[in-house]
Amino acid sequence: MFALPEKESRAPSTCPGPASTQDLDSNCGDGLERECSRKPDQKLPELYGVGDPTAGFSSNSSHLSSRGGIIKWFWDSAEAGYRTYHMDEYDEDKNPSGIINLGTSENKLCFDLLSKRLSQSDMLRVEPALLQYPDWRGHLFLREEVARFLSFYCKSPVPLQAENVVVLNGCASVFSALATVLCEVGEAFLIPAPYYGAITQHVCLYGNVRLVSVYLDSEVTGPDTRPFQLTVEKLEMALQGANSQGIKVKGLILINPQNPLGDIYSPAELQNFLEFAKRHELHVMVDEVYMLSVFEESVGYRSVLSLERLPDPQRTHVMWATSKDFGMSGLRFGTLYTENRDVATAVASLCRYHGLSGLVQHQMAQLLRDRDWINQVYLPENHARLKAAHTYVAGELRALGIPFLSRGAGFFIWADLRKYLPEGSFEEERRLWRRFLDHKVLVSFGKAFECKEPGWFRLVFSDKAHRLCLAISADWP
Amino acid sequence: MDETRDGEGEVFPNISADISSAGPVPVPFSSVNWSGSSQPVEAKTKAQGMSHQSDVLPCDQLRDQVIGNQSSHTQLMETLLHLRQTVDDCITQLTTRPPQLDLPLEEQRHNQATGEQEAFLRRVVNLLQSGAMWGLGLQAPRPTLGPRDDAGGGQQAQLSRQLDQLVHQLSHLEVAFVSHDLSNRGIDISAFERSKFQDFKTYQGDKYHEDKNTMGFINLGVSENKLCTDLMTERLSRSDMNHLEDALLQYSDQRGQPFLREEVARFLTYYCKSPARLDPENVVVLSGCCSVFSALATVLCDPGEALLTPTPFFGGLVMGSYLYSKVELMPVHLDSEITDGSARPFQLTVDKLEQALLEATLKGKKVRGLLLINPQNPLGDVYSRDSLEEYLEFAKRYNLHVIIDELYMLSVFDDSVTFHSVLSMESLPDPNRTHMIWGTSKDFGISGFRFGALYTHNKEVASAVSSFGFLNGISGITQYKLCRLLQDREWIDKVYLPTNHSRLKAAHRYITNKLKALKIPFLNRGSGLYVWMNLKEYLQPCTFEEELLLHHRFLGNKLILSPGKTYMCKEPGWFRLIFSDKPLPLKLAMHRFYEVLAEQKRDLRVKQLEDPQKE
Repeated sequence: MFALPEKESRAPSTCPGPASTQDLDSNCGDGLERECSRKPDQKLPELYGVGDPTAGFSSNSSHLSSRGGIIKWFWDSAEAGYRTYHMDEYDEDKNPSGIINLGTSENKLCFDLLSKRLSQSDMLRVEPALLQYPDWRGHLFLREEVARFLSFYCKSPVPLQAENVVVLNGCASVFSALATVLCEVGEAFLIPAPYYGAITQHVCLYGNVRLVSVYLDSEVTGPDTRPFQLTVEKLEMALQGANSQGIKVKGLILINPQNPLGDIYSPAELQNFLEFAKRHELHVMVDEVYMLSVFEESVGYRSVLSLERLPDPQRTHVMWATSKDFGMSGLRFGTLYTENRDVATAVASLCRYHGLSGLVQHQMAQLLRDRDWINQVYLPENHARLKAAHTYVAGELRALGIPFLSRGAGFFIWADLRKYLPEGSFEEERRLWRRFLDHKVLVSFGKAFECKEPGWFRLVFSDKAHRLCLAISADWP
Repeated sequence: MDETRDGEGEVFPNISADISSAGPVPVPFSSVNWSGSSQPVEAKTKAQGMSHQSDVLPCDQLRDQVIGNQSSHTQLMETLLHLRQTVDDCITQLTTRPPQLDLPLEEQRHNQATGEQEAFLRRVVNLLQSGAMWGLGLQAPRPTLGPRDDAGGGQQAQLSRQLDQLVHQLSHLEVAFVSHDLSNRGIDISAFERSKFQDFKTYQGDKYHEDKNTMGFINLGVSENKLCTDLMTERLSRSDMNHLEDALLQYSDQRGQPFLREEVARFLTYYCKSPARLDPENVVVLSGCCSVFSALATVLCDPGEALLTPTPFFGGLVMGSYLYSKVELMPVHLDSEITDGSARPFQLTVDKLEQALLEATLKGKKVRGLLLINPQNPLGDVYSRDSLEEYLEFAKRYNLHVIIDELYMLSVFDDSVTFHSVLSMESLPDPNRTHMIWGTSKDFGISGFRFGALYTHNKEVASAVSSFGFLNGISGITQYKLCRLLQDREWIDKVYLPTNHSRLKAAHRYITNKLKALKIPFLNRGSGLYVWMNLKEYLQPCTFEEELLLHHRFLGNKLILSPGKTYMCKEPGWFRLIFSDKPLPLKLAMHRFYEVLAEQKRDLRVKQLEDPQKE
């Protein structure tokens, strides 16, 4: 089990007290607050940060363009951890001592259900129209199905329109296309941090668009607040800060349910953020890729499409995909819903780079159409399994006295391992991450999510029990 | 490369030229209602702008601001383009459709359509007369890609408000195409789509169907092979295709699933006759050849840099390279005439490459590479081994990358033609700068699969292109099916390729016989899915305007072909016709083709008779 060597426990030993047995999820936020308030290096809080993924990088390749050099650098840096992982991937038969991946956010709990459903005969149709060039927005039959599906599951007050749907090969592509058609080179989107770090690359590769992080604190400031809470005030400050640096901000990205926090915005919060965006004529991109992965019913998740009235419907763009909610990230199906026809048309024009095979489009339409299976088989079972896996990992963390955040949505737990860092630096965070990897567990460190406090880690729990068991019980640092 | 609705895209290739020659027209200030500011404007300044609206600034000053505001200028251009397009279209249809038609049904429909067109035209003309559009300095420079000029917020607010009003006004006329929300590049991208959107919609809504809609559009503009859908459907329906495992539903290696890259390497080794086994590590697979090209262009060239390409060439690449990557293509213009250095029409020579490179350099363009398509599209030519070698040596001399698109390599249906893949060469002059693209869209007639592969010896390039694996990835399920398909050599060699080639040959023979009977000159080549033909006999005068009119005449008769202008051909009158369609639609298409040409001939005769009378 999680045996902590003496040397490593220096930091926590200076912060004794309740911090050792917290679950920020429910009742122990104040403990964390105390812990934070003791940190000496927090005099001037950073409110925002302008992302420049290419800072300090210069290409010296004779074959690549200067942006090509940067793009390659993305590849090289992203590969570092994963190359190690791919070379020594855990397999229960072939490589039982291999690395277990708790770093990639994938739901591996329901392959049996999915495999059965995707193998039914209705899925296997092949017809000439599916083999030829489609409408770039996606086949009409699929866009109609997506509109019906989202109307139902997002609880839209009015039926959503197929005309407002564009189908692409995953949400990464939606980000890329939106960044390109909404921003000029060098312009920016606001995004509350910590956030799913891959978005940096998605908006940068083709679009050359930057992200301005709205830094959130683990510290809890009042009775009705929670750690890492986003407020309009913080958005305003970050926007002002970016403007004062001469950075043109064109939009705001919201991830709901949030990744990596597992947090959920209430309808009132959502409304406030949308009003903020409207005041500043910002586009809002709402990434709802985990909307059906809310496994605690009490959480009361609301999609932005369920709001009675959107403050600025022409600047509100919603994305969803089957990657997370249906555990098929490898299928590459994502969709954009926007009432703005200009945006839809421009994104559709880029779909020639982000197309999806006609055969897969047929399968997706069949899948989304099958409400009986989704409601009676898949969702209940998926939620039960997510809950069980979550309960297990959360229990283990509690037993280890590790504070964490998790509100019953998503596939991950945002764990506070600050007490295991000898000093609060990102170098130490990375060192701890490396140590996990050496012990055959791949996790994600907070820096990858632009978290401004070193020491936070994201652990993905949506994996099979034996793998989780092994990961948790492996020789941890 | 992937051709994407090029038939539809070619409907109005010449419009911007028309517009820019229209010139400025004076306009009363009160009607200058344009601005496209999508920039946030403080509510306060907006109110101020409103209070002293429209009578403060002299017209010239305002015009300068409008021009200065790149976004508004672009949007204005957009609207103008669209209006111009619509008017052109209406006029063309009204003037080129003869009033007497053989079929009563068609006549009825035509009259009705004419009525609608006239009504619409009237509305557009009214709007134009209101003076809202013209005179805002149409010769203003194209917007640059940099961040917009942020100055003059208050004035912008004023413009913005005025724009609001006009947009509102326009929306009543159903011609509002001005966007507040898109970036300049977004507007460019959208305009590209829009220029053909209406026509594509018309086509989609009125497609030819053997039983259900025999009167619908026949599309011989988009390069798709529809001759073997029976074989493909059968093969893809076999049970081995439907295998599913968890890895296929999960994130994979961004370069593509290892099993597919291995299969692609084996496949290319065999069909490209590579002297050595190709390495799966040099393969990257992405969602279609457009994606491969776009990613490749992005990592090889910075914005504004250029690739040389012999023209005529498939025009879809222009946008393929431009929409995302902002890489330009410098044409190497080829002649139909046979001259000293050449043995064939439109022959590419090193002299021409040298000359084009020199011209580009003189223009201050940084050329990073050479783009070759082999078998050529739209010519159908294949390069001899010697020519290929010469082009590669040329590129090496100037440190140019060579991107070579071999998308039609298995669509060489004439046995007497030998295709040489660049991968078949014993030694490449500059292997680190030679990048080959192939996909299944054309050779297997499955453009809907969205699969393209890059083969390059350059590890840096392969890694950089792999970064796009997320944005241009292929579904695991699709990757599996593709792997099974490419693996099945028995079926490919004994069933698919022989049948496909014999059907292509038959369709090609049918079309070329028709063209011979009509005495239409064309390039008789044994590869590709298309015939490149010369219709300049039917143009008088022989201009691109007349080419466009003839194209519209084909459209009017529900036949989509691609005019040469779209291929950057420098001689007017050439058209590309896709012959890889089923016999029935092909026969009907040729009937329509014949009708249009007969009509055109009649009109030319009338014109000839009228001209002397005028003198």
